[in-house]
Amino acid sequence: MRLKTLSLAIMVAAGLASTTPVFADAHSSTKVTDKPLELSIHFHTKKYVYDDDWLVEKEAAKRTGVSLKNIASMATTNSQEAFNLLIASGDLPDIVGGASMKENVNQYGPEGAFAPLNDLIEKHAPNMKEYFDANPAIKAAISAADGQMYYIPYLPDGKYGRAYFIRTDWLKKLKLEVPNNIDELYEVLVAFRDLDPNGNGKKDEIPYFNRNWEEMLRLVVFWDGRTSGSDTRHDFHVHEGEVRHGYVGEGYKNGIRHIAKWYKEKLIDPEIFTRGSRSREYLLSEDLGGVTHDWFASTTGYNVSMAKKVPGFELKAFAPPESISGKRIEEHRRTPVKPEGWAITAANKNPIETIKYFDFYFSEEGRRLANFGIEGTHYDMVDGNPIFKPEVLTSDKPINAQMWSVGAQVPRGFRQDYAYEKQWSNKFALEGIALYDQGDYLIPQFLGVAFNAEEKKVFDKYWATAQNYMLEKQQAWILGSSDVDKDWDAYIAQLDRMGYPKVIEVMQSAHDRQYGKK
Amino acid sequence: MSGVKLDKIVKRYGNIEVVHGIDLEVQSQEFVVLVGPSGCGKSTTLRMVAGLEEISGGTLTIEDKVVNNVAPKDRDVAMVFQNYALYPHLNVYENMAFGLRIRKESKESIDKQVTEVAETLGLTDYLERRPADLSGGQRQRVAMGRAIVRHPKVFLFDEPLSNLDAKLRTQMRAEIKRLHKRLGVTSLYVTHDQVEAMTLADRIVVMANGRIEQVGTPMDLFNNPKNIFVASFIGSPPMNQIDAEIDVVEGKLFAKFGDHRLALADSKELGTHCQGHKVVLGIRPEHILTNAQAEADPETATNAIPVELDLIETLGSEALLHTMVMDRPFVVKAETHGDIAHLEKTSAFHFKPSMISLFDKETGDAIDHPAKA
Amino acid sequence: MNVIQSKIGWFIRHVRREWQLYLMLAPTVIWFILFLYKPMYGLQIAFKDYSIFRGIEGSSWVGFEHFYTLFGNDQFIRAIWNTLIISSLSLLFGFPIPILLALMFNEILNQTFKRTAQTIVYLPHFISTVIIAGIVITAFSPSSGIVNQFLVWLGMEPIYFLTKPEWFRPIFIGSGIWQEAGFGSIVFLAAMAGVNPSLYESAVVDGASRWQMMWKITIPCILPTILIMLIIRIGNLLEVGFELIILLYQPATYSTADVISTFIYRQGLIGAQYDLAAAAGLFNAVVAFILVMTANTISKHYSRTSLW
Repeated sequence: MRLKTLSLAIMVAAGLASTTPVFADAHSSTKVTDKPLELSIHFHTKKYVYDDDWLVEKEAAKRTGVSLKNIASMATTNSQEAFNLLIASGDLPDIVGGASMKENVNQYGPEGAFAPLNDLIEKHAPNMKEYFDANPAIKAAISAADGQMYYIPYLPDGKYGRAYFIRTDWLKKLKLEVPNNIDELYEVLVAFRDLDPNGNGKKDEIPYFNRNWEEMLRLVVFWDGRTSGSDTRHDFHVHEGEVRHGYVGEGYKNGIRHIAKWYKEKLIDPEIFTRGSRSREYLLSEDLGGVTHDWFASTTGYNVSMAKKVPGFELKAFAPPESISGKRIEEHRRTPVKPEGWAITAANKNPIETIKYFDFYFSEEGRRLANFGIEGTHYDMVDGNPIFKPEVLTSDKPINAQMWSVGAQVPRGFRQDYAYEKQWSNKFALEGIALYDQGDYLIPQFLGVAFNAEEKKVFDKYWATAQNYMLEKQQAWILGSSDVDKDWDAYIAQLDRMGYPKVIEVMQSAHDRQYGKK
Repeated sequence: MSGVKLDKIVKRYGNIEVVHGIDLEVQSQEFVVLVGPSGCGKSTTLRMVAGLEEISGGTLTIEDKVVNNVAPKDRDVAMVFQNYALYPHLNVYENMAFGLRIRKESKESIDKQVTEVAETLGLTDYLERRPADLSGGQRQRVAMGRAIVRHPKVFLFDEPLSNLDAKLRTQMRAEIKRLHKRLGVTSLYVTHDQVEAMTLADRIVVMANGRIEQVGTPMDLFNNPKNIFVASFIGSPPMNQIDAEIDVVEGKLFAKFGDHRLALADSKELGTHCQGHKVVLGIRPEHILTNAQAEADPETATNAIPVELDLIETLGSEALLHTMVMDRPFVVKAETHGDIAHLEKTSAFHFKPSMISLFDKETGDAIDHPAKA
Repeated sequence: MNVIQSKIGWFIRHVRREWQLYLMLAPTVIWFILFLYKPMYGLQIAFKDYSIFRGIEGSSWVGFEHFYTLFGNDQFIRAIWNTLIISSLSLLFGFPIPILLALMFNEILNQTFKRTAQTIVYLPHFISTVIIAGIVITAFSPSSGIVNQFLVWLGMEPIYFLTKPEWFRPIFIGSGIWQEAGFGSIVFLAAMAGVNPSLYESAVVDGASRWQMMWKITIPCILPTILIMLIIRIGNLLEVGFELIILLYQPATYSTADVISTFIYRQGLIGAQYDLAAAAGLFNAVVAFILVMTANTISKHYSRTSLW
């Protein structure tokens, strides 16, 4: 990024601007309009709505000449509900934004509620055009069934989400090595269960645990199974251009058999299905939990918060153990594109100005504003990089909350900059991320499809039921109330009857249209 | 044999005593009415007899058996309540049979008694109806029927007629009296209505503030009230009262009030030394003579006070003449003889000295009461 | 024509004379029109391919397609059965308990004890469902739950209750009773307070015991209230405490726990299917209507008590 800016500066300085007129023009001035323009916006997230007093909004208005006036209300915390009310009222503002945009705009855009953006971007938004040209997969992922983009997404930066964590102090105590493959992991878990690593004389250790039981399913990856291709649970994934679902795969069957065995042997938290979201806090603070799979930032934080309570506490990320076929895979990663963002409605009388305004946040200047807040107030430029001021970093309030309160890092259509998060990540997290970066364990994400009306009908009709059935059987197998090997053929046959093949068919056709056939 | 005997019966709620040691003997088969203003303790007394209230002190005997600590059901009393206390979900027959069924009497016996009593009370046609489908009078009859079928030693009535309209009340009053005559069961009857008391009772017990003021036959109470309270409570309209002073003139007694002076009959209690004694002069509305009647009688011709009438209420054969004497309402009941024209001309009320009752202003007790003799 | 005119004239005069009464009636009527009758117009989306943006008018008719979809789905049929079973069992076990509680409270003579006891049983009603679910999950936890500790104390193996389909209904119904029985007893206590005290006094004089008074006076006198409550409950037979189920069930217990509302909820998660939900809602309403009508008619016939 720094390099690019530099080269651009050189180009401009060298008077080569005329060879790339549009490009240079967009960068030289951020003014969208000379006459101040006020646009109405309905921007709703779970925790807040767009605020005209945000410093970032004011700064953006100053630089672009466009100011946004919020009309969304906090009467509900449910963004989908707020959106529904807005659409049902028929009285649309200029811009709609916030949470859960993608599916909504891709349904109501083609019906005429939102403006198609492809053409506008092509003609008036050089920064966005540059980005989408460079990232065709993202463009495909957010496009509706008619091939048009209807919203500008929030594009998170930073790849890493969850990782495997282990109590390295327990390993040292029991003189064990970090497990390298699934067999070693099994042995370590057995040792955690039997050898009293917390030293209280009781066999109360919970070798493997998760905050959500769904997260435990990822263990099937060690038997070459899959659970989800995206950051949504139980989602499809794409294998060599073919849309598949993990829960019908051979590796899944194999993995579930082993999970059931582990569960029976009490290597997995026996109460994983009901312990709920506080289980990590509880099991770590009571010195009971051994291995988990959870988010980098929050999980490494326990090294700091538990230091006093559990002496010697050390919970470190470790590389995903090798699967039975020798692959090291971290199935989870942060999605590169969110369903959040903003869109131009059909009622907007200034679509060109609006898309130019959106484009401002894709410019370097706008992106910095959306990521770091106000220069001099929140950050200073050091060696050409925005660096948070010490008082921001040391405040009692978390940085992300500080940013939200001034309108930065809110899910408008913008590109996040990982440098923002890196500055306040703890050293354990950075260490773990470095480890995962080194090993390159991530796998490609499935970014979803946009159905046409026919496909949507088929999907809606069959998928919920089929997924229900999958989950019911899944838990029954894990809990040991029935046997996966005995049930498997009947299970596949039942899914066939429930229309699973039709779901795969429409997924595939939507996928092929959107991302191209392979 | 005494039916019910109350000996120094006391009722206390916590530290508050509401009935202050009542003595009363109800003879077997006698019909005694407890009357008094609300809050005088008459209902509490009745409920103590029924066993619904605990007795705080004294002795209660029913047919010579002490029943202070006997459960209500074993006292062999039956009670009729003001609001009838009929079970809304049971029909007339079942309501009347309720007490017998509780006592596990045989089906035949219950049937016989209920049918019989229903016949007596004229309820035979309504046996299948529920209370909600009956008129007030019919409900009252059912309530009595339910008491009667039990053949108790004592009937207790707690203001049984007060929920009925005036006409029905008169009718039921007579009916109760007839029933009592026929059945001859000892009855204790509570009411605040002195007319009911006068018409029903063999003897009336006037109560006030948790004490018995006077016990006696209706006529006894009417003619010889023991004190101002009884005098004003019994009789309708109530006895007129005038605050006065005794004035002795030439050995004769007079009552002096305002500018007026009325001659009094000779007194055993009052003598010449009573000059200036403060009394209440009481005279029943029936006992005043208007101008026309008085002229014939020399004793009353001059023993009069001049009045101006405020109002005449015509009742038919009688009329009520209202005025004020010494700033207090004063009513006279006079015969109309079919015309009130002559009453309208009334300009003075004449007093017959023998009809004037005197009460001590300070104690309220009657002066020259026959009981003192 | 004249008749109509005179009737209109009469009506206008009537309203002018009694306008205060109509004014007092107005809020309720307006509330009904706005919140109950107007939304009924929206019921038609059960027969349409509904899009919020197109609106009710703009969406196309699809006839009974949503009903075919619902009734062609084994899981929906299962959800109907589960709903009926859970509701019926709740009714069977949950309905008499508030009455029993009220009868027991009615027999307590010590006022302090009575008030304390009542407060204690009313309390769970005021706890939010989320907390209730937390309490239930904790109480039935295999390691630390009081129920399993008791089982272990008895020498039995702990049971992971909340993953066992056969245990879901007892736990759900039991916790429902625990939460609502006390509060539900209020209406019966109120009915008992309305019983004329002289009925009891009369019975005392007649020689009835407390037990006899309860059976022969209290219960018959509150029977109309009991029947009205029963009719209302029967009308709600297809409504099951949806939040508590969502919080307590697992895929492992769907087979006994999944009810109509939770089924629709999960359907709704995948693509906002308002039309399908409306179809299920309409089905619910029709069944509830039939149930209430039937119960009311039966009650009217046998006990003279009815809602209308």
